Amino acid sequence: MEDIFEITREPIDKTGLEQRLLTGSAGAIVTFDGVVRNQTRARPVVTLQYEAYEPMAVKEMRRIGIEIRERWPDVERIGIIHRFGELKVSESSVVIVVTSPHRRVAFEACHYAIDRLKQTVPIWKKEVFEDGEEWVEETESIR
Amino acid sequence: MNENKIRVTVLLFGACREAAGMSEIECLLDSPATAAGAWAEIKSRYPALERFERSALIAINEEHARIDQPLKDRDTLAIFPPVSGGQI
Repeated sequence: MEDIFEITREPIDKTGLEQRLLTGSAGAIVTFDGVVRNQTRARPVVTLQYEAYEPMAVKEMRRIGIEIRERWPDVERIGIIHRFGELKVSESSVVIVVTSPHRRVAFEACHYAIDRLKQTVPIWKKEVFEDGEEWVEETESIR
Repeated sequence: MNENKIRVTVLLFGACREAAGMSEIECLLDSPATAAGAWAEIKSRYPALERFERSALIAINEEHARIDQPLKDRDTLAIFPPVSGGQI
C-alpha cells in the first residue's frame, strides 16, 4: 500500500480514500475536506470552475508528500485528491488524508499539506456568480 | 530549422489563458534564450497578458522556475497566475 496523489474530474470518494490509506498500525486518521462555499464577499456563488496543469499538479502533490515525511517521519500514509472541472456548492474540491500512529502528527501534517497545496500546486479557480464570473487571484507571489 | 533558434511550447493557464484566448503557443526564440525572452515574445503577440507582468508565475518542464532561467530547444514553458489561495 502506498501514498495516493491524484487529480480527477469525478466527485471525490472521501471514505474510499480513507479506507485505501488505513493500515492496522495507524491510530489516527485526519482528513481535510475543502468544499465549495456558497458566497464570496456576500456575492452568491453558483459554481466554481477549477482548472489544473495536470501533470505538474500531481508532481507538486508528490513533493508535498516528500516534505511531510521529512518533517514528520512518523506519518504512515498520505493521500491527496484534487478535483477539477465544474463544482457545485458543498461539493469537495480537495480531500487530504494523513494517517499516523498517534494524533498530533496527523493533525500537523494534514494542516501543512493543505497550506503547501495552496502555494505550490498549479490549480486555479474561477467563481461563477449569478451576474458574472471572476478568477480567484492571489497577490502573494511564490516566485 | 536555423540552429541559432530554439522551439519552445508555451502553455497558458487560468486568467492568463483567458486573456490571451490561447492555451498553447509555439514560440521560436533566438538562442541562448530565457523564460523572460519567451514571455516578452508572448506578450507582444497577446498584449492582454501585459497585466500579468508583475504577478505571473512560470514553470519549465513542469517545475516551478524563475523568469531568468534559460530555455533549451523543445522545453515546455507554462505561464500562469498565482495558484488559487483561499483564506486560512
